[in-house]
Amino acid sequence: MEFVLDKKSFARFVENLLSDESLDVEGVKEKDGKFVFGHLDSASDLRLDHDVTLIPPKKYFLPQYETILRYDLSKPFSAKAEKEQKGKVLLGIHPYDVAAIEQTDRVYLDDYADEGYRRRRDITIIVASDILDVSDRSFAAAMGTHRIYSGYDLLLTDLGGRVVVVVGSKKGKLLLEKHAANLAKAASPADLGAADALRDSVEEKYARVLKVKKEKWVELLEHSYGHPLWGELAGKCMQCGSCTMVCPTCYCYDILDETALDATKGKRVRTWDGCLLQDFTKVGSGEVFREGNTERFRHRFYRKGLYIPKRYHFTACVGCGRCATACLPDIASPLEVFNGLHERRSESAGGMAYALPETEKKKKRFDHMPACATIEKVEKLTGMEKLFEISMDDGDAFEYDPGQFVEVSLFGTGEAPISISSPPSGKSSFELVVRQVGNLTNKMHALKPGDKVGIRGPFGRGFDVSKLEGKDLLFVAGGIGIVPMRSLLAYVLDDRNRDRFGRVILFYGSKTPKDVLFMDEIRELEKKRDVTVKLTVDRCDEGQCWIGCTGVVTSLFPQVEITDAENTAAIVIGPPIMYKFVLKCLETLGIADERIYVSLERRMKCGGGKCGHCQINGVYVCREGPVFTYDEVKTLPEAFE
Amino acid sequence: MSEKSKPRVAIFDFASCEGCELQIANIEEEIIDLVNLVEVVSFREVMKEHSDDYDIAIIEGSIVRPMDVESLKVIRKNAKILIALGACACIGGVNRLRNRFTKEELFNEVYGKTGFGDNPLFDVLDETKPVDGIVPVDYYIPGCPIDRNEFKRVILALCEGKKPELPGYPVCVECKKNENVCVFEKGQFCLGPVTRAGCDAICPSHGNSCEGCRGLIYEPSNECVKEVLSRYGLDYEEMTRRRNMFNCCGREDQ
Ligand SMILES: Cc1cc2nc3c(=O)[nH]c(=O)nc-3n(C[C@H](O)[C@H](O)[C@H](O)COP(=O)(O)OP(=O)(O)OC[C@H]3O[C@@H](n4cnc5c(N)ncnc54)[C@H](O)[C@@H]3O)c2cc1C
Ligand code: SF4
Ligand code: SF4
Ligand code: FES
Repeated sequence: MEFVLDKKSFARFVENLLSDESLDVEGVKEKDGKFVFGHLDSASDLRLDHDVTLIPPKKYFLPQYETILRYDLSKPFSAKAEKEQKGKVLLGIHPYDVAAIEQTDRVYLDDYADEGYRRRRDITIIVASDILDVSDRSFAAAMGTHRIYSGYDLLLTDLGGRVVVVVGSKKGKLLLEKHAANLAKAASPADLGAADALRDSVEEKYARVLKVKKEKWVELLEHSYGHPLWGELAGKCMQCGSCTMVCPTCYCYDILDETALDATKGKRVRTWDGCLLQDFTKVGSGEVFREGNTERFRHRFYRKGLYIPKRYHFTACVGCGRCATACLPDIASPLEVFNGLHERRSESAGGMAYALPETEKKKKRFDHMPACATIEKVEKLTGMEKLFEISMDDGDAFEYDPGQFVEVSLFGTGEAPISISSPPSGKSSFELVVRQVGNLTNKMHALKPGDKVGIRGPFGRGFDVSKLEGKDLLFVAGGIGIVPMRSLLAYVLDDRNRDRFGRVILFYGSKTPKDVLFMDEIRELEKKRDVTVKLTVDRCDEGQCWIGCTGVVTSLFPQVEITDAENTAAIVIGPPIMYKFVLKCLETLGIADERIYVSLERRMKCGGGKCGHCQINGVYVCREGPVFTYDEVKTLPEAFE
Repeated sequence: MSEKSKPRVAIFDFASCEGCELQIANIEEEIIDLVNLVEVVSFREVMKEHSDDYDIAIIEGSIVRPMDVESLKVIRKNAKILIALGACACIGGVNRLRNRFTKEELFNEVYGKTGFGDNPLFDVLDETKPVDGIVPVDYYIPGCPIDRNEFKRVILALCEGKKPELPGYPVCVECKKNENVCVFEKGQFCLGPVTRAGCDAICPSHGNSCEGCRGLIYEPSNECVKEVLSRYGLDYEEMTRRRNMFNCCGREDQ
């Protein structure tokens, strides 16, 4: 359905929208000689001749600062989701930005649908407009996003004296009927022809040439991981994060709790974050997972051209050119970078292979609102670790697989991912073991039975026990790695399940005898049929009583003979540096990579594959992990760095 | 929170304009919340009473005189937690500009022939120092002046037994979120890309450029600096002069 409005009628249409109290009308307007999306006060504010806006319209769906819930610390557990009610009309969105919104829709709505995003999306009407003026740095035509055929509710083409309006959805049709009832006329073939000619003419306005088609980016990047260009450009990068802030296809975020000075009322705020920023992958222990400038700089391009295309089947750049304009040393433009890689292809010193691990294809919902749970029991395990038994207040069975984790929420402090340490029981309660390392874990340690906490999850992919059935199982734990392992260990050794698994061997290394977790339980395990347990400590201070071995965990390997390596699966969980050594031992034993299971740790903020923090190259630890087979991650350079 | 568990706070000032203290005094409606949270036992700018029994010491100002060094050491000994307040205390601030002169040059310039002999009130250190140039600092509240919200956040976190953290990213992040036209695009120089955020990019958002008052978090490579200056037709001297206002690094740097 196509209509046409003369300029006066179009202005009336906008005025009608503005006088509708139920609508918030936002559109493109001028700011300091550039353009922004903002609240329109009158129809004359609206500019349809803009080249590009400073910030893309993603801010309407993922605002710069979004209150996701409000809490009240004077009550044991009080949180209210913030719900925006008023409808919004966005006027003047360019085709490339519409394409970017369609991409973000896929990410935020397809799986682990984000409630806040969905709500904002539902109440918003997109009135796109065809491009009249092209920004100097844009290469939208090369990305095929200079004109669109979907993704809008209405599409405007400003032909000077008149505006052609194409209806793209029912929402758009209703809007037009309500606010342009006597203004819009059916478009004539001449109007439509003129609109089409205008769209066709846009392509020629793009001066910059992309020398390697976007369809070829995947292949190019697979060859370019070790390309010297990354280091050359990263040497000029200021880590300012501007390139990610202004990008319509970047959507990573951070979450912060802000409590008022009265120490009771507060809000949980979601805000834009970016992978170029130095603290993006920093965790409580002080470790930074993507540490170098070069790695961070490169990651952004790999996300755009390889990781996201492999996952969602689109290229995560629409060619708007905002990053090129925003980057002071002018090193951020995908056009120039991919051209550079293409032209200097022969210089690459190594590529990378990346395949997405197979995960369950069940659609999942995802919300930042935690469910209320009660601490039932607190037990001090060591100077650093406490065990918490937690039950969900809704009383429903809490279903999970061994190896999965929850996000523990304390209002005013934040959230932390914590592995479930007890075996699945079909009850509404479960156990966590928490090591005191920072703000949230400190607060956890101060909790007593009866106190309330928030729980989100369970998240991630745990162990697929069906794959372990019939096999001998070699467990190798380092330090706190025993915590997630305990869930699987207890499951396997449960009398009801024991017959389904073969021999069980546990190697467990701790720093000192004082740090050994679950000593009593381990002693009990040892008494069971077909179970071998070997413990070791790095060092044993004088006067400490210790009957196990001394040395790193790999020193235990020669002590037990693995009789049937072909039929053995290994489960390895420990600190990052442990993996390298243990994996070598397993290789020597002849245990195949696809039968080695590891559980990896990264910074996390969401648990649903959105916030971006937990990525190991293109893999989300919160979704495809934390449990992986070695086979799935061994080609990822960032996995065991 | 019971009366007894309220942390006792003392606020001290050294070489400074007291503008940061004024920011605290100006917290207005929330001042009630603040006194519910902490007990202020010393705050020269707003009260007469003084006590040496405190948990948290908040220090405004940079350290310029030998006698200040001594008082500061006593404060450090008394306090469980010591906070540097404002640019002068955190990074030396504008007071550090005088480090380009020797003590003698300085005296001649300021007091001329009269001099002040041995009066310790007028004796100065060879170099003006930030607080952590003399004693260890636990937490920083940067800025010239400080951001009131950040002050509240830090105090609240400490009262709740948490470790307050400052943003680890530069002003550009906040500036982009605020949808400002980049100051460089307007043909001016801005320290936003290398200055610690937390001020909500207040200067660029009001048509000025960032002066770096919250301290630098990143030292870009020379290659990068050259590239940026030439892209925007800016001058190296001008950049250095601007950076030195708050972040002057000592005599060799002039
Ligand atoms: C899948 C997974 C399972 C985990 N299981 C356990 C467990 O069973 N027991 C346990 O004690 N710890 C576990 N951790 C580590 C735990 O999440 C961190 O120690 C915790 O987040 C630190 O939070 P904090 O507020 O105390 O520290 P701070 O340093 O104050 O952290 C601030 C914020 O940074 C993020 N963060 C910091 N460290 C980490 C980290 N290591 N991993 C992810 N995000 C982090 C969190 O969002 C945290 O709220 C696990 C981590 C992951 C990723
Ligand atoms: S990467 Fe750059 S050009 Fe591509 S969509 Fe993002 S801001 Fe636009
Ligand atoms: S905008 Fe440029 S300088 Fe800033 S982080 Fe991105 S690539 Fe680096
Ligand atoms: S993407 Fe947010 S935690 Fe994994």
